[in-house]
Amino acid sequence: MTPVLSVRDLVKTFTLHTIDGRTVASLRGVSLDVAAGEHVAVAGQNGAGKSSLLRCVHRTYLPDSGSVTLRLDSGPVSLTALTDREMARLRGREICYVSQFLETPPRAGALEVVADAARRRGLATGEAAEAAALSLRRLGLDEALWDVDCGVLSGGERQRINLAAGTVRPPRLLLLDEPVSALDPANRELALSLVASLTARGVAVLAVFHDLGAIRRLATRVIRMEAGQVVACGTADEILGELETAR
Amino acid sequence: MTIAVRQLLDHPHGAAAGILDEGAKREIRRTIVTAVCVPGYQVPFGSREMPVARGWGSGGLQVTLGLIGPEDVLKVIDQGDDGGVNATNLRRIVAATTGCRADTDTRTATIIQTRHRMPEEALDDRQAVVFQVPTAEPLRGVQKSAAECDRMHAEADYSAMWVSLYEDIVRNGLITRSTGYPVLVNGRYVMATSPVPRWDVPRLHQADHLNLYGAGRERRIYAVPPHTTVTPLTFDDVPFVVEYVPGARCGYCGSDDTYLVEAPGDRFVCSDSDWCSRTAAGDSDGPRHRAVAPLAWLPGPSGTSVKSKPSSLVTDSASSSPALSLAGPRPAPAPYDGGDWMLKVDQVGKVFGAGGAPAVDGTGPDFGTAVSPLTGAVVAAWDVSFDVAPGEALGLIGESGSGKSTLLNCLIGDERASAGTMRLASVDAGSTDLFTLSATERRRLRVDTLSIVYQDPARGLDLRVSAGGNIAERLTAAGWRSYRDIRRRAAALLDRVEVPLSRMDDPVATFSGGMRQRVQIAKALATGAPVLLLDEPTTGLDASIAAGVLDLLRGLLRERDVAAVVVSHDFAVIEALTDRSVVMQLGRVVESGLTDQLFHDPHHPYTQRLVAAARR
Repeated sequence: MTPVLSVRDLVKTFTLHTIDGRTVASLRGVSLDVAAGEHVAVAGQNGAGKSSLLRCVHRTYLPDSGSVTLRLDSGPVSLTALTDREMARLRGREICYVSQFLETPPRAGALEVVADAARRRGLATGEAAEAAALSLRRLGLDEALWDVDCGVLSGGERQRINLAAGTVRPPRLLLLDEPVSALDPANRELALSLVASLTARGVAVLAVFHDLGAIRRLATRVIRMEAGQVVACGTADEILGELETAR
Repeated sequence: MTIAVRQLLDHPHGAAAGILDEGAKREIRRTIVTAVCVPGYQVPFGSREMPVARGWGSGGLQVTLGLIGPEDVLKVIDQGDDGGVNATNLRRIVAATTGCRADTDTRTATIIQTRHRMPEEALDDRQAVVFQVPTAEPLRGVQKSAAECDRMHAEADYSAMWVSLYEDIVRNGLITRSTGYPVLVNGRYVMATSPVPRWDVPRLHQADHLNLYGAGRERRIYAVPPHTTVTPLTFDDVPFVVEYVPGARCGYCGSDDTYLVEAPGDRFVCSDSDWCSRTAAGDSDGPRHRAVAPLAWLPGPSGTSVKSKPSSLVTDSASSSPALSLAGPRPAPAPYDGGDWMLKVDQVGKVFGAGGAPAVDGTGPDFGTAVSPLTGAVVAAWDVSFDVAPGEALGLIGESGSGKSTLLNCLIGDERASAGTMRLASVDAGSTDLFTLSATERRRLRVDTLSIVYQDPARGLDLRVSAGGNIAERLTAAGWRSYRDIRRRAAALLDRVEVPLSRMDDPVATFSGGMRQRVQIAKALATGAPVLLLDEPTTGLDASIAAGVLDLLRGLLRERDVAAVVVSHDFAVIEALTDRSVVMQLGRVVESGLTDQLFHDPHHPYTQRLVAAARR
């Protein structure tokens, strides 16, 4: 099966000009594939390069070398070679990135944020508002909070808004960076079943969870990273077993 | 002593010496010929000292003296009256120094010099009317700078004139200007009708006689030749009307179809004394007069007020034609396409001072200075390239003095770029370099193609004019001529930028900084220009007001397909409004990328410092 996302030999180093030009290696040649309907979970310790990998795919980080290829209906597109404008257009349409922390425009309410995301996906204003309402309801966000400035909401509420915006319409590729870290068990369950349903509908998911239960439940494949490299790849049981023994 | 005064009053050198020498008369006639050839255009002439005070008809007197010959019959009136001191004085001067005949009967006169009236009598092609003009420039009331007035005439840029009419209606419910009503002559020049009442204005249109205007102080002569189209400036839906008091009649001759003035004792009398006395004596052609009297322009029975409360306008706009509605919900974005820019800027540079391109060596971030070591010129921007697509916002970020605003000034046309090209997809399909266009063409682009919001609202607005009037300025420049449509559009725009409609008719000078900025934004959006430049739109506003303006801009950019360039030194503004950004330092682009990438993974040392500084 042709993968939706192919990452090859991805290298990312940060040069800190403000601290005497020191360099920090983040990714040292990462390769992986994610197919449609596949949920690939990236596991590893803090600083292993998991989030950097996701951000390089989303191009929030600019990789030094290597390639990231996304297969669209029209054919494969190299995300590393794309112009900024083309990348900006793919974002929020083909690729959705849900980070651990909600990054919304200031003073925007939940419904507005999610409806905006829906509009980016091509929905008309009226439809977008309906889709946004559906999406927020699905994640159990209290309707009384929908028009409240996101900045004043709790961590768990913000995380659900973030996830609602990323999944208001199934994207081609969903990047999840600890999307449920602040959720209570009931809401976590809602969020995880939403992600599972998207995978079932053919969305390619590349995810970072610290929560091994979530990985066991969702991942079709697990990749373990260490010091910026992929050190193992296999089923959840294989890799997580390794991890647990390593502890 | 008595003898000496009498000698002074007599002509010491004889009447034949005249007031103007033949050379001066020839110059005046040449000027008149030019004025006749270009109807409505104010032709400068070498106005001479006259034996009357300036302001007492010296301009009209020179035109009369330039034209008149011994076979002519002269009539001089002041406000329609042949018997006024000034009229009598002028008549005697001309008759005595030229030997022509003077008369008060309009029918026999060949040259009629007048102050503030056109005779009631229908005139024919043997006759010329010479108007004494105190203020020749019709734009003087809206523009103090003479050079700017000249430019406005040259470019037929009369939107300021339309705004003054708009403001008049807003304040008074109708156009109150009664004398010197502005007219468009031959479809080209706006002209002041000397201060004749509106009653006389329709008489200029397709007249059989020649109209000449002499302004002695301003040294201008202009003309409305026979059979010229003369249109009073007014909105399509606000009819031009003449002065009229229902039921009023002349207390002497009983006329109700002449221009009447109030007389003591609650009476009205004809302003034209010759017409009045002949009518009273039964020696006037009433039907012929009625044919030329402006009876078609009498106000209708319902009155002329078109005043509308701003609050009623927004509900109106919902039902108005689709062309009036604001750019509504954006159509679903086109599926992924990669290219097609709206604005493209290539290797643009601006050098202040000597040296031009050779001054660039030795400047920029690598050298830590923008001042050329060779010539001392300041290289404010150099080699800046980017393009912006419809529906996209590009950020231009950098500290003060990095060249951001200079660059924007070059793009809008306030500064002339020293190097590079600028193209708009909507101008000749992008084949024309805008930097090669004339200042006139550049200015025209600002009406409906290239809009800018300045940091200082005073730069983008006329603070003396109302909020609605400022928007009307842009709309009338774009050719809007319906008062009601302009009102509705302005109200809808102000409503969108959250300016209370109760303030729509207040001068912008009475607005707070945040409100002014909102009005400026509304004006920039008025004509739906495809490119919007924002120069530090929230800088200078306090935090809570800036936040409101920022939210507004975010919403506006989201709902429109404009290509926007946002200049700011504030990362929060750039982050909230743009997808892509360009970082400038010392006039050069040091880094460009996706805005979130620049923020999270800046590569250039300068950008890293900037980002570190922005984190609080």
